[in-house]
Parts: sequence; C-alpha cells; structure tokens
Amino acid sequence: MRFHLTRLAVATRFTLVEHGRNRFAMILVILFVPVWTSLAYLAMPDTPARMRLRATGEALAPHGNELTAISGALNAVTLITGFMMFAASFSGGGFDRRLAMAGYPRAHLVLAKVAALALVSAAVAAYATAVICLAWTPRQPLLLAASLCCAGLTYGALGVGFGSLLRREVEGMFAIVMTSIIDLALQNPITSSGADNPVMRYLPSYGAMQASTAAGFSTSPVPGHLALQLAWFGLAALVALLGFRRSTRDCLPTASTTPPGPGSGTADIPAPRHTAGPSVTASDTTAH
Amino acid sequence: MEIRDVHHAYRRRVVLRGVDLRLRAGTLCGIVGENGAGKSTLLRILSGELRPTRGSVRHGGRFGYCPQHVVLNDALTVRQHLTYFRTAYRLTDVRHAEEIMDVLGFTGYADERAGVLSGGTRQKLNVTLALMHDPQVLLLDEPYQGFDWDTYQRFWDLAVRLRDAGRSILVVSHLAYDTERLDELWRLDSGILRADKAGAAA
Repeated sequence: MRFHLTRLAVATRFTLVEHGRNRFAMILVILFVPVWTSLAYLAMPDTPARMRLRATGEALAPHGNELTAISGALNAVTLITGFMMFAASFSGGGFDRRLAMAGYPRAHLVLAKVAALALVSAAVAAYATAVICLAWTPRQPLLLAASLCCAGLTYGALGVGFGSLLRREVEGMFAIVMTSIIDLALQNPITSSGADNPVMRYLPSYGAMQASTAAGFSTSPVPGHLALQLAWFGLAALVALLGFRRSTRDCLPTASTTPPGPGSGTADIPAPRHTAGPSVTASDTTAH
Repeated sequence: MEIRDVHHAYRRRVVLRGVDLRLRAGTLCGIVGENGAGKSTLLRILSGELRPTRGSVRHGGRFGYCPQHVVLNDALTVRQHLTYFRTAYRLTDVRHAEEIMDVLGFTGYADERAGVLSGGTRQKLNVTLALMHDPQVLLLDEPYQGFDWDTYQRFWDLAVRLRDAGRSILVVSHLAYDTERLDELWRLDSGILRADKAGAAA
C-alpha cells in the first residue's frame, strides 16, 4: 500500500509543480476569471430574463447581468482547466511516455493527473464563486462552487484527452475554446433563443449550467444535475485514459521480475541499490 | 539484446527488410546509417515504441534508453527529475545518478529547472536518466549531441567503463565517429543491417 501511495504522492506533487509553473495559466486564473465575470455583470443590462429552469421546473426571472455572470464564470473555469490540462498533457506526452517505459505505473500517473485536476478545479471554482459573491449574493454559493468545479473537471479531462490525441498545439486550443463557446453560448437564455431546446441537455456542461443557475436564483437542491455533470466528467476521463494509454503504450511487455543491481564489482561507477519490488529483466516484442 | 528478422513497413513503404542482431554482454556496439536508412524506425522498435510488422526483439536485463531528442519536463529541476525516475526505477537512492552527473560535469545544476539549462546540459540529464538504474542493456541514440569536446571524451570513457563492467551498449548514429572505440560496427543500409568490419576495433 505504501508502495502505491509513494508513487502516487510523487507523481501528484510533480504534476502540481508543473501546473504551478505554468505562468500563463496562473495569470489567466488571477485576471481572466474576475475580468470576464465582472464585465458580464457590469456590461449586461439587469433586466429580468424570464425563463423556466429545467432542473427544478421553477419559473424564474433572474437579472440578465447576474445570469450572464454565471455563464461567464462557467466559461472562464472551463477554458482555464481545459487549457491547463491540455498544455500539460501536450507538452508532457513524451515525458509521461519515458516515465511509463522506465517502470512508472500508468495508473499512478493517470491518478496523479486526476488528483491535480481536482485540486485545480476546486481552487479555480472557489475563486470564481468568491468573485461573484463580491458583486451579488447567489442563493446557494456552495452549490455554485460545486457546479463550477464539476464543469472544470469535465473540461480538464477533455483537455487531457485532446492533449493525448491531437498532433498540433493549435488544434487542441481551438478544440477547447470552440467546445466551451458552443456549449455555453447555446445554453444562455440571454443570447440564445434556442436555450430551451431539448437538445441542450446533451451538451457537456448542461448539468453544471442547470445546477449553477439553480444555485444563483433558487433554493432547491439539484443533486441529479451535479451527478449528470460528474457523469460527463467520467466520460471525458475515459476518453483521456484511452488517449493516455495509447500515447504511452509499450510494445516490450515485461516478461519476468526482478533483479537487484548487477553488483559485478567491476564497474568504476558502482551499481545503484534497488528497493524490493519488480523491475524489468526480460522484455520482448514479437509481431505475428 | 536479440533482434530477429525484424521487418517493418509503413503501408506499402518497406523500411526494414529483415534486421538480425545479437548484442552480447560486455559489448560496445554501433549502428550507423545515412538519412532514410531506417535508423529511426529501428530505434522506435528497439525502444518498445513501435511493434514491428514481423520479427522479434528481446531485451535480457534491465533496459535503458536515451532518446535522440531530449525528453525532459521543463518545469522540474534536475533533482526533481532524479527523484521522479528514482521512483520509476524503484531505486533506494540517487547516488549512482549523482556519480554519472559528476562524470558528465553538471552536478552544480541540481537545483536548476530543466527549462533554463543549456542544450548540452539538458542532453547530459537526458543521458543520466537513461543510465541511473545501471541498465544491463543500454540503447543510446546520438547520445553526444551538444556535448563539448571534454564531455564527449568523458562520455566515451564512461561507455567503455560500463562495457568493461559487463553492460551491453548500442550506440546509434548517422555518422561513424570514434569507431575504434567500438567492439562491433554495423551499417544500416536500405533497411538491411550489415557488419562494417573496417570500422570496428574487433
């Protein structure tokens, strides 16, 4: 157990270090979230927007600027987590592969990415919720933070998937930006006359949009829609996992276990000491 | 390492046409080949990245691979790289890696991030990560790119010492440098490996 925890802890620590040193992402978090959310709140008219919230069945009339601020926060959180995860996966694909070939279990590397994604999503969602709360008070701030976090998780996993599967950086950035824009713009009742179309419920952030709108303007709990968003995260994570497995595949399967360092005593540079545990001794690949 | 009848083709374009090679313990072997000879494809197969269309590759022992293009994480320091790969290789410490760093002359950069290192120092770290678990079979792809003359000499001294300690080392290059240091030299030409006895010491 300790064996697994150590590997997971090391991989998570270095994954977080890598995200922390992504200065552009840090600037985006610090500036983009408040700028986008505040502009949406200040620039949009506060005229009530009459709508029926599918999640609760309630007829609501939230201020247009507050509704747009929520949509803006979702847009900011999804773009930032998607970008951070894509950037790390895209630039670190070769390094992940080298680690995996050196014996680092893929499961630990993937779990470390998920753990880092969860921490990043939670932090950005809490920050975005705090920024919104400075301007007005949502009815359920915790639910709002949870919705933003679930949307961030989904787009973060999509970012990992794009990073593993796409060949060029610009392709991944375009894919994330366009997915978020189409996804959120279509659901916004202020900007989209088709926001109540049944097709909307199949969009990647439908659950988060419903839950965050309920969080802003209703007191009803909406666990089903949070669960729906988590299901989207699960689906995106599965795609990411398959992409990661494909990009780190090893055609030299380990055939047996073992061995301590050679210890022949003849090398000028002494052999390193190995811990107990399996290591590669014989590998082969055969085509049929 | 044993390579048997390895063929590979990308659709109709045949790249390897039956490569056979047996790398014995305590051998320092070189493979050279011109651009387009199939070196990259052979290396991808030997390192496990690519499955051959036909044939087999077998590595007997701990395997180390140093890719031609430096594969590092620019956000992590040299020391963090060693910790990451110490965990991957399941080593108790990084003393062996530190000794290699000492031989290659970059111990002073332990706390520098890989992203700010010079090209030569990045390559030294690239080589160290492939050597730090003392592999019994070592595959080096153009390992001395970016090295200054002194480091280049120390790299070859290190390779010879590892060979003398019983390790099998395969160096792949597009040019036949320092062939007198090699026990065997092979030339990859149009997807076929041929012994180049004139270039090898033995």
